[in-house]
Amino acid sequence: MSNFLREHAEQLYAQELEELIKQDSDKKPFNWKLSPQSVVTYLIGGKLKNGFEISPKYIGNRRLMEIAVATLTTDRALLLYGLPGTAKSWVSEHISAGISGDSTMIVQGTAGTSEEAIRYGWNYARLLAEGPSSNAIVETPVMRAMKEGKIVRIEELTRIGSDVQDTLITILSEKTLPVPELNSEIQAARGFNVIATANNRDKGVNELSSALKRRFNTVILPVPDSIDEEIDIVKRRVESFEKIMELPAEPPALQEIRRIVTIFRELRSGISSDGKTKIKVPSGTLSTAEAISVVNNGLAMAAYFGDGLLNASDLAAGIIGAVVKDPVQDKIIWQEYLETVVKPRDEWKDIYRACRDLL
Amino acid sequence: MAVHILGIRHHGPGSARNVKAFLEETNPDVVLVEGPPDADHLLEWSNHEELKPPVSILVYESENPKKAVFYPFAEFSPEWQAIQYAKRNKLPLHFMDLPLNHQFALSNIAAETDSQSAENSDTNGNNADGEPSEGLNNDITAEYIDPISLLAQAAGMDDGEKWWEQQFENRIDNHEVFEAVREAMQVLRETLPSKENKLEQLREAYMRKVIRQVEKEKFQNIAVICGAWHAPALNDLKNTSKADNEILKGLAKVKTECTWTPWTYNRLSLYSGYGAGIESPGWYHHLWNYSEDDGTRWFVKVAKLLRLKGMDVSVAHVIEAVRLTHSLAAIRKLSKPGLEEMIEATLVVLCSGESILLDLIHSELIVSDCIGTVPTEIPKPPLQLDIEKLQKKLRLGVSAESKAYILDLRKDNDLEKSIFLHRLELLEIKWGNKQHAEGKGTFKEQWTLQWIPSLAIDIIEKGSWGNTLEDAANSFVINKSAQSDSLAEITALLEGSIPAELPKAIDALILKIQNLAATSGDVIQLMKAIPSLVNVSRYGNVRKTDADLVSNIAKNMITRICISLPAACVSVNEDASAHLLELVFKLNDSINILSDQDIFVQWQQTLSSIRRNHNSSPVISGYTTRLLYDQRILTGEQLINTFSYSMSFANDAEKAASWLEGFLKGSGTILLVDSALWNLINNWVADLSEEVFVQVLPLLRRTFSEFTNSERRKLGEKAKDGNILTNKSNQKPSEESFDFTKAKKGIPVVLQLLGIDQTKVNI
Repeated sequence: MSNFLREHAEQLYAQELEELIKQDSDKKPFNWKLSPQSVVTYLIGGKLKNGFEISPKYIGNRRLMEIAVATLTTDRALLLYGLPGTAKSWVSEHISAGISGDSTMIVQGTAGTSEEAIRYGWNYARLLAEGPSSNAIVETPVMRAMKEGKIVRIEELTRIGSDVQDTLITILSEKTLPVPELNSEIQAARGFNVIATANNRDKGVNELSSALKRRFNTVILPVPDSIDEEIDIVKRRVESFEKIMELPAEPPALQEIRRIVTIFRELRSGISSDGKTKIKVPSGTLSTAEAISVVNNGLAMAAYFGDGLLNASDLAAGIIGAVVKDPVQDKIIWQEYLETVVKPRDEWKDIYRACRDLL
Repeated sequence: MAVHILGIRHHGPGSARNVKAFLEETNPDVVLVEGPPDADHLLEWSNHEELKPPVSILVYESENPKKAVFYPFAEFSPEWQAIQYAKRNKLPLHFMDLPLNHQFALSNIAAETDSQSAENSDTNGNNADGEPSEGLNNDITAEYIDPISLLAQAAGMDDGEKWWEQQFENRIDNHEVFEAVREAMQVLRETLPSKENKLEQLREAYMRKVIRQVEKEKFQNIAVICGAWHAPALNDLKNTSKADNEILKGLAKVKTECTWTPWTYNRLSLYSGYGAGIESPGWYHHLWNYSEDDGTRWFVKVAKLLRLKGMDVSVAHVIEAVRLTHSLAAIRKLSKPGLEEMIEATLVVLCSGESILLDLIHSELIVSDCIGTVPTEIPKPPLQLDIEKLQKKLRLGVSAESKAYILDLRKDNDLEKSIFLHRLELLEIKWGNKQHAEGKGTFKEQWTLQWIPSLAIDIIEKGSWGNTLEDAANSFVINKSAQSDSLAEITALLEGSIPAELPKAIDALILKIQNLAATSGDVIQLMKAIPSLVNVSRYGNVRKTDADLVSNIAKNMITRICISLPAACVSVNEDASAHLLELVFKLNDSINILSDQDIFVQWQQTLSSIRRNHNSSPVISGYTTRLLYDQRILTGEQLINTFSYSMSFANDAEKAASWLEGFLKGSGTILLVDSALWNLINNWVADLSEEVFVQVLPLLRRTFSEFTNSERRKLGEKAKDGNILTNKSNQKPSEESFDFTKAKKGIPVVLQLLGIDQTKVNI
C-alpha cells in the first residue's frame, strides 16, 4: 500500500498497463505507450489473450470511448463535455495514463487561470540576473507535454477567461508554442494532444470561441443509462475507496447502494422509478459521483461512529447534504419526496425514519 | 450448362455491385429474378428512360384492389441491376417467384378458414387493415434476420444487419462471395429447425420449376438472382422435380393486374410503418453511386446540408470528420468506415456533440426524400391517367415532401385546383390535407400535399367508380348517399360536394336531404345537419354554386326544428340535455349566420315556449332565457321574475343549479361588462337571507367554476367593489351633454370604413 492519499491512474493500474503493453500487437501511433485498441480495452476492461483481467474504468458505451481515443489519433483535441460527475475528469485521467503512461500533465481551469499557467512563465530572479534565456522560463504542463509528446489535460476549460482560452489556438492548430522573447518556439513532439473537460450545468462560464471550438471534437458523456449501470459504477468506486481508506466497515450491501442510486435517479429525472409519480427536481446535480461520495461518507460514519455496518442512519446525512443545496427550495422538495415517494415504500421505512429525524 | 445462383440481400448496394460484376463476367444467356411472374410483361418497360427508380411493381387482385403487394426497386437493388443488365444485353428475362395469382388465392382460402381465429397470421403480408406489404422485404423479416444474427453472434457482433453489411455489402473484393453466401445459408438451413411453412415450400418449388423450364429451353448459362435464404434450396434441381410438380399441382388462382408506380426512399426505410425495410436508403444510394468514397464525398454532402440550414461548417471540419472516421474504423478493425462511424464523426466534429442536428441529417440524407418516376405511356387504369393529367394541367407536382399551397378561390386556376383536391378528398384519396387558412374571408384555402405511394392503390381501387375524376367522384358520392340514412352524414357529404362542384351528386344529395328531413321525426338529427348546411350556403359568393337552394332547405329544416324542439326538451336526462344544449348553441349560431327575419321570429317563439314550459330541461330552459334576454325579448321586471322563480328555494337544488348553468353558459365575460345582467344576479344574491344563501352557495360555486380563472378573479374583484347599480353602458346619453358638431366630424371616416360613397349619403 502506497503512502499517498490518492495515487495516479498509472500508479494504481501499473500492472494492467504493463500487461497491456506486453500483449499489445496492434500498431501504435508515435510516442503512444499503447495502441488505440488497447487504450480502449484499458478503459472499458476485458480479458487479455493470456487471461489477464483488465478492470473496467469507464462503465458505459464502448463506442464513446472509441470515439474519444480515435479523436486523439487525429489532428484534433478532445473536449469531454457533460454534467458534473459524469466521469469526465476520470476518463481524461485514464486516457492520458493509457496513451502517455502519465496523467500528471494537468492545468486546472479557473476564472483566475492566467496565460502564464498555460504557455510559460518567467523565473524573475533568473530573468533579472541572466536576462531572457531558456533557463529563465518556467515551463507549464502544456509546454512539457509538447516537448515530450504527451497528453496534457485541461480541466474545466470553460471556466477559464476567453482571452486566456484562445492562447490554445496556436498550440492546437500550429502545434507550436512561440516564445517571442527568445525569438524561438517549442514545436510539439508527435504524440502531443489535449484533453479538455467542461461541464454544461455551470453558470457564468465562458463559451469557447468558434475558432477554438473547431479545434476540438466534442464527446458528450451522458448520465448512466440504466439503474444497473449506475449501481455498478457506485459499487466499483466504493470498493476501491474502501481499499485505500482501509475502513474497518463491512462492504455495503447491494441493497443499500441500490436505494441511494434510486433516490438520486428519481430526483434527477423528476419521475419515480415506477413512472407513476412526478417529482420536483432539486437544484443540485445529483450525479453518480455524488452518490459515490454519499456511500463513502456513510461507510466512514459506520466504521468510526456506528456499528461497522452501513445502515440507513449512516447514509441519511449524506443524502440530505447532496440533495438540499438550496436551504429553502430544496428542503421543501426533499420533504415532499420523502413523504410521497419514500414513505409508502415498505422496505424503505428505516431510511424514511432516519431522514425524518434529521430534518 | 451452368446455373449460377446469386444469393443477395434485397436493396443491398454491395449485393447489387456483386451481381452486376458477376453478370458482366459470366455473360449468362438468360436471367431469372425473384419476383412475381404476373408482372413479367411489365419488364419490357424496365429500360424506358422515364422509368427512374425508386419505383415499384404493384400487383393487385382485379376483384379486390385492396389486396395488393408492392415490389419496390431502388437503383441499388440487386434485382434492378440484374434487370437492367438483361435489358441492356437484350437477354431473356423472367420473374420466378410463385405467381401472386396463386398467393392471393391461397391467402383468400386461408383467410376464410381462419376467419374465426383472432390472429390472422397472413403469410402474404396483408395485414388486417388491408395495407399492402412489400413483397421483397417480406423475406427479410420473416426468416432472414434471425438466422443471420446467429452468424453475426458467431463472429462476435451483436447486430445481424451490421454484420452482413461489413461482410458482404462493404466489401471491395468480392471473389466468390456468392459461393460463401450460399454455403453460409446452407449451414443455417441445416442447423435451424426448419419451419414448416407451406407458402415457402411452394415458392421455392416454383422457383425450381422455372429454372428447370429454362433449362429445357436449351439455355446454357443461367443466372438466378434470389434472396440469400433461398439460394441453397435452388441448387438441387434433379431430385426435387417430382415432389415440386406434385405440390404445385392444381393451385387455386385469382385474376391479378399489375403496373409500375413511383416509390419513395422514405417508404423503403424502416420507420414508415411497414415494419420491414432498410434503415438508410439515402446512405445506400450514396454507397451505390460512390462505392470508392472514403467518406469525403459524404461529409461534403453533410456540410452542404448544414450550411444550407445556416450552420457554419468549414472545409477543415470536413477534413477532420473524414480523419476521425478512418481512425474509428482502424480501432474497430473495419476495412472501411460504415454509416455508424459517419454518424459518430458528424456528431462529434460537425455538431459539437449536439444530437439535434443529427435528426435533420437523418431525414434529409440518410433516408432522403427521393421519389421515382414512371413513364406516362405505361398502361394504367383510366382514373389514374385522368388524375395524372389533371395534376400536370394544374401544376400540382407529386412530391414525397409535404408542400403547402394557399389557394385564392377568386382566381380560376386556384379554384380548379381546389375543386380537384376536394374531389380527391371525397373519393377518400388522401393526398391533400385541408387546413384552416389564416385570415378572414371564405375565398382562401390552405392545403398540404404529400404523396405517399400507397395512394396508387386507392386510385386503382376507386377506378371502378368511373373513368374520370369527376365521374368517379359523382358516382361514389351518389352511391354513398344511397346507402346512408343519416341526415348528418348526408349533409357532411353535401358540404364536401359543393366545393368539389359535383352538380349531379349535389342534386341527389339535396333530394335525399329533403326526403329525409320530411320523414325524420328525429329533431336531433335535423339539428346536427343544420350547421354544415348553413356553412354550405355561405360558399355561395365565392363558389359558383346555387347556394339559395341549400339555404332554402336549411330554412325549411329550421322550421321543422322550431316546431318539434320544445317537445324534445321535455323529460330528458342530464347527459342528453347537455348534448342538446350544445346543439341548441350551434343552431343559434347558424340562425345568426343565416340572418333571415322569418326564421328569427320563429326561433324566438320557440325559445319562449321552451322557457315557459316548466317541464323543459332546466339547463336548456336557462339557456333559452339568456338567449331571449340577449335578443331583448325578455327584459326588466319580467326577466327578474323569471330568474327568481327559477332560482327560488322551493325548486329542487339540482334543477336550480342546472338552470343557472344554462343561463350563464359561456358568459363569464358578459357578466363582467353587462351591468344589467350583473345587477340581476348581484341583487338576487343580496336579497337572499343568510340561511338561504348558505344553501344556494354550492349551486353558485358549481356554475362559476365553469368560468376561467381570470374571469373568476375579475368577477370577485367586481363584487368586492360593491354594488354597481348604475348602468352606464345602457344609459342613453342625455341630449344636453351631446356635442353634435364633434360627432359629425367622425362620420365621414365611419362611412369610408364601411365602404359607403359619401356623396350619396345625406347626413
